[in-house]
Amino acid sequence: MSGLLLAAIAAITYGSRLAAMAVLPRPTGRLEQILSRVTPAIFASIATLSLFTDQPGLVEPPILLAALGALLVTPRRSFALCLVAGIAGYLVGGLL
Amino acid sequence: MADRPVSVARTIATVAPAAAAIAVFGVLYGATARPLIGPELTLLSSLIVFSGATQFTMIGLLAAGAAAPAVLATVAILNVRHLMMGAVLRSSLGPSRLRRALLAWFLLDESFGFTMLAADRVAPGPKRIDVAERTLLITGLCCYAAWLAGTGLGILGAGLPGLEGVAAAVFPVLFIALAALTARTGNIAIRAAGAAAITAVICVTLPDWRALAPVVSGLVVAMPSRPGSDD
Repeated sequence: MSGLLLAAIAAITYGSRLAAMAVLPRPTGRLEQILSRVTPAIFASIATLSLFTDQPGLVEPPILLAALGALLVTPRRSFALCLVAGIAGYLVGGLL
Repeated sequence: MADRPVSVARTIATVAPAAAAIAVFGVLYGATARPLIGPELTLLSSLIVFSGATQFTMIGLLAAGAAAPAVLATVAILNVRHLMMGAVLRSSLGPSRLRRALLAWFLLDESFGFTMLAADRVAPGPKRIDVAERTLLITGLCCYAAWLAGTGLGILGAGLPGLEGVAAAVFPVLFIALAALTARTGNIAIRAAGAAAITAVICVTLPDWRALAPVVSGLVVAMPSRPGSDD
């Protein structure tokens, strides 16, 4: 990874914050609807991506159980609870 | 002015649990990123990016062998949510564009949530602007300090046995939690599950293209379910 790539990532990240709060008008209508759906989908996709290896195959069982633990408590919609459940799943996987 | 110190203390107390969680993830980020990009770039990334989701995504994609364009495209789409959050926040902030530009640095999922929560308790007007701007600044500063401290500790403790194992499990846990928090309706949660399914199919059938899965699956499931429909 180069410093240039990191600078570009930083520029994109702050640029998106700056644009929304100081430059662009608020998105409305259909665009608002579509954008509201993208973020959780990206997060879910990255979570899934991290469960696969290059071979392709699945990662080690403790990591799968960590994901399962976090997944089971998602209805509570608590960041801390997901973290705790994930750690618990990971520890259970290690014991098994 | 007299109640400002109390309000600041109350705001810090409110954000403290979230800041602690951010510090933990900062430690895990530091421990995970250091072997991949080195300690200098790891610390610099937290200094100038200040976004856990973006930085974990960056590291995850780089570890998966993604090229720079794929990383930048994913980061750009991931940051689209800032457009939404910032637009919502704007109605509670003051008219100074410079001040909003400075406060924009602290726009995170967490600070957005705390700021909207505090602003909603005050009637629209100068008082609400003051509360919103102060809350965004204080919560943002707390989160920034926690993220930098955590990253630094993670870099220092990267060689500790056990921490790397936990760090390897942090990606799915972190992003499952983020997906759960941002999926505010059942419809969006189902779409997120659809993105996960598409990603799994891509990982199995087209492993060389897996780094693009977040972009492809995210856009596919975000489209309206029927032509001309908002659903």
